[in-house]
Amino acid sequence: MNCARYFYLLFHLPLIFATSPLLGQGQAFPNHNSQLVSASHQAMGTIFTVYLYADSPKSAATYFDVAFGEIDRLDATLSNYRSTSELSRINRLAGRSPVTTDPEVFTFLQRAMGYSLQSDGAFDMTVGSLMRAWGFFRGEGRYPDTQELKRARGAIGWQHVVLDAKERTVRFTISGIELDPGGIGKGYAVERVAELLREAGVRSGMINAGSSTIYGLGAPPGTKGWTVHVPRPGHDRESLSTVMLRDQALSTSGSYEKFFRLNGTTYCHIMDPRTGLPVQAMLQTTVITPSATDSDALSTAIFVLGPDRGKKLLDSYPKTGALWLQGKDPYASKTISWHWPGDLNSSGKRVREFWQATMR
Amino acid sequence: MMNRREFLGATAGTLAASALSPAMAASDRVNLGVIGPGSRGQGVMRTFLRVPGVRFTALCDVYEPRFAEARKITGEQTPVYKDFRQMLDRKDIDAIMVATPLSFHEEHVIAALESGRHVYGEKDMAKTVAACDRVYQSVKKTGKLYQLGTQYHYAPWFMQALERIRAGKLGDITHIYAYWHRNNDWRRPVPDPHDQALERLINWRMYRQYSGGLLAELGTHQILFATEVFGSIPESAIGTGGIDYWKDGRETCDNVQVTYRFPGGKTMFFSSITTNRFVGMQIQVFGTGGSIILTEGGGTAYYELASQNSAVPQKLVVERGITTTASFRAEMPYRGPGEPLKIPDDQQGSPDFLACQSFIDCIRNNRRPGADELLGWNSGVTVALGNQAVDTGQKIVFAEHAKLPV
Repeated sequence: MNCARYFYLLFHLPLIFATSPLLGQGQAFPNHNSQLVSASHQAMGTIFTVYLYADSPKSAATYFDVAFGEIDRLDATLSNYRSTSELSRINRLAGRSPVTTDPEVFTFLQRAMGYSLQSDGAFDMTVGSLMRAWGFFRGEGRYPDTQELKRARGAIGWQHVVLDAKERTVRFTISGIELDPGGIGKGYAVERVAELLREAGVRSGMINAGSSTIYGLGAPPGTKGWTVHVPRPGHDRESLSTVMLRDQALSTSGSYEKFFRLNGTTYCHIMDPRTGLPVQAMLQTTVITPSATDSDALSTAIFVLGPDRGKKLLDSYPKTGALWLQGKDPYASKTISWHWPGDLNSSGKRVREFWQATMR
Repeated sequence: MMNRREFLGATAGTLAASALSPAMAASDRVNLGVIGPGSRGQGVMRTFLRVPGVRFTALCDVYEPRFAEARKITGEQTPVYKDFRQMLDRKDIDAIMVATPLSFHEEHVIAALESGRHVYGEKDMAKTVAACDRVYQSVKKTGKLYQLGTQYHYAPWFMQALERIRAGKLGDITHIYAYWHRNNDWRRPVPDPHDQALERLINWRMYRQYSGGLLAELGTHQILFATEVFGSIPESAIGTGGIDYWKDGRETCDNVQVTYRFPGGKTMFFSSITTNRFVGMQIQVFGTGGSIILTEGGGTAYYELASQNSAVPQKLVVERGITTTASFRAEMPYRGPGEPLKIPDDQQGSPDFLACQSFIDCIRNNRRPGADELLGWNSGVTVALGNQAVDTGQKIVFAEHAKLPV
C-alpha cells in the first residue's frame, strides 16, 4: 500500500464503520439523535467526501445535494479538463483579446495571482503548459525533449496574466499561457462547500477533497475538533503528527502523489515555475490555515520554496502553521515545523495503536 | 401557503408600455434586471456577467435572503425590489431575465415585454397551453425579443447533431428516446423546515400550484430538441407517473414517462426518474442510417452497418453449396466506438454561456433569438399536454387543445 492509499484509508475506515451504508427515508434517526453521516462524490479528478451530523436522512440528503451541487458547479467553472468550462474559455481566448468574466471567477483569479506575487512565483497557475510538457496532464509523467521544455518554459509566468478590475477582464500578454487550477481549485471548492453548509445550518462537519485538502467545520460533539493524521511518507504504519481541526483547513502536497522515475531520479508533479523543473528533495508539506483556498495554494507554494523562504511567506497569514518533510529519501528525511498546532511523532506513532484506540 | 399575491409583492402598479429601445451598438452596455434570482437565476446571472458590457441594474425577489446572494454575484450594491412592477418602472433596464417559478412566467414575461423590455425567460415558456398562447401573442404584439432559457439549444454538439440530422446523414429519424434520470430527492434546503410557506417558496418544484414537475423542469430540453428534429409539435401523448418513492409531502411526480406521437408516426419517449442516475441526461436519436447519442457534455454518432444487395452467380451458391461455420458475424451486435462530434475551437463554449451571449448579441444587433417564441410555444404546449396525459391517464390529442395563435 502506498502512502496516498494509506492516507485515504486512514480517513475513511472509521467513518465507514460509524455510518449506515444506506439511509432510509424515515423522518428522523433512531432515538431522535443527530447522527454522523457521510457521502462521497467524484469531481475535479478526485473524490470529495463530506461528513456531517444531521437530524434525519432527509436533511442529510439535502445537505449532500447542496455540497455536491456546489462542487459540480465549480468543476464546470474551473476545470481545465472540460472544454466548456469558464477557465477553458479564458485559456482559449485571453491570448488574443481581453476576456470578460464574472465577479466570482475574476476574484478567484485575483486571489491566485496574489499568491504568485507573495510567493515570488513559487505558486503560479500558469504552469499548465509545463504540466503538459512533463506529461502530467491526463498522464503519469514523462521527461520532455529539450525543445518541448523550452517552449513550455516560454509559455508560463503569472506576470503575463493581466487582470483589469474595472472592466473585469483577463488577458494574457503572451500566447500559450494556460491556467491550471490544480494547486488551488479543490481548496476553493472545499471553502465554498464549508460556507454553504454553515449557511444551511450544519454545525459540525468535515469536507475532504481527496485527502489533500480537508476542512473541519465546528467539531464532533464532545470533542475539540476533527482528528486528522499527517502521514510519514514511506512508513505505512506511522503518522508524522495528529492534529484537531476546528474551523480550520489543512492541505498536504507530496511528491508521492504523481511521479515517475528515470535513471534513479524521481520527478514529481509539482513544478517549480521559476526553473521549469519538478521540485526536488521535498517529500511533503502540510499547511493549516482558516481558509481552504489559502491552505491549498500555500502548501504548494511552500513545497516549492522550502522552509526558509516558506516561513517568510506564511508570516503574512495569521493563524497558520506548517510542516515540511525535506529530503529525497523517505527514510532519511528531515522534519521542520512552523507554528504547528500538533505534536510531532519523532519515532512515529503506530497506526495500529491508533486504530485500536479509535475502535474501542 | 404562499399565494399569488404574496409572491408578487404587496404593491400593485399600472403597467405602461414604454417606447421600444433604439438599436444598440455592439459595444454598448446592456443593463439587465432579474425577476427571481434563486438557485437557477443566480447561475444564469453569473453567466451573463461573462458577456462583455453586461450589468445587472436591478434585482427583484419576494424572498429577501436572495438579495445578498445575488449582490454577491454582481459584486455591487445592485438596487433590489420586492415588487416587480416597481422594478419595471426603472429607466435603466434594457432586458429582463425571468427565473421565477413556472406558474409566474406568464405574468412576469408579459409585464416585462409590455414595459418595452426584451426577455430572457427561463424555461418553460408558461405552465398551461392558454398561458403559452398569451406569452406568444405578447411577443408578437410588442415586437420585443423573447429567448427561451434553454441552454442546450445552443450547445455546439446539439447544433451539430441537428445539422447532421437535417442533412440526412442519419437517414429517416423515426424515434427519439430521452432521459433525465437522477438519484436524489430533487429538493433544496429550507432554513426552517417547519415553515410551510418557506418550504413551498424554496421547493416550489414539488408543488403543482407552481410547477410542471420533472417533465417541465427537466424534460423541456429534450422535448424542444424533438420538436426541432420532427419539425412540429406532437399529434398525441400518453403518459404515466406518480409519487412512488419520495413520499415526503410533494405533489409533483417523482417519476414520469411520456410517449409522444409526431406526424408520420415519429415517436419520442421521455423518462425522468429520481431513484437511479445510470443513464443521466441523454437523448438517443434513432434513424434508418444511424444514431446519435447526446449528453450534457457531448455527442457521439453511430452509423448503421451498410446492407447492400448484389447479384450472385448461381454456380457459386447453388452448384458449389455453402460451408457451415461456428458463428455468423453479421449477427454480432457490435456497433463500433462511434464518432464523437468534434467541435471546432471557435465554436467551443458552455451551453449556458453561448445562450446568454447569443441573447445579448440579438439585442445589440436586432437579431431574432434561435430559441424564440415559436420554439418556446412548441415545447411549452408539448410539456403542458404531456402533463395532462400523465394526470388523466388518457391519450391527449393535441389538435383538440393546442393551436398556434395568429
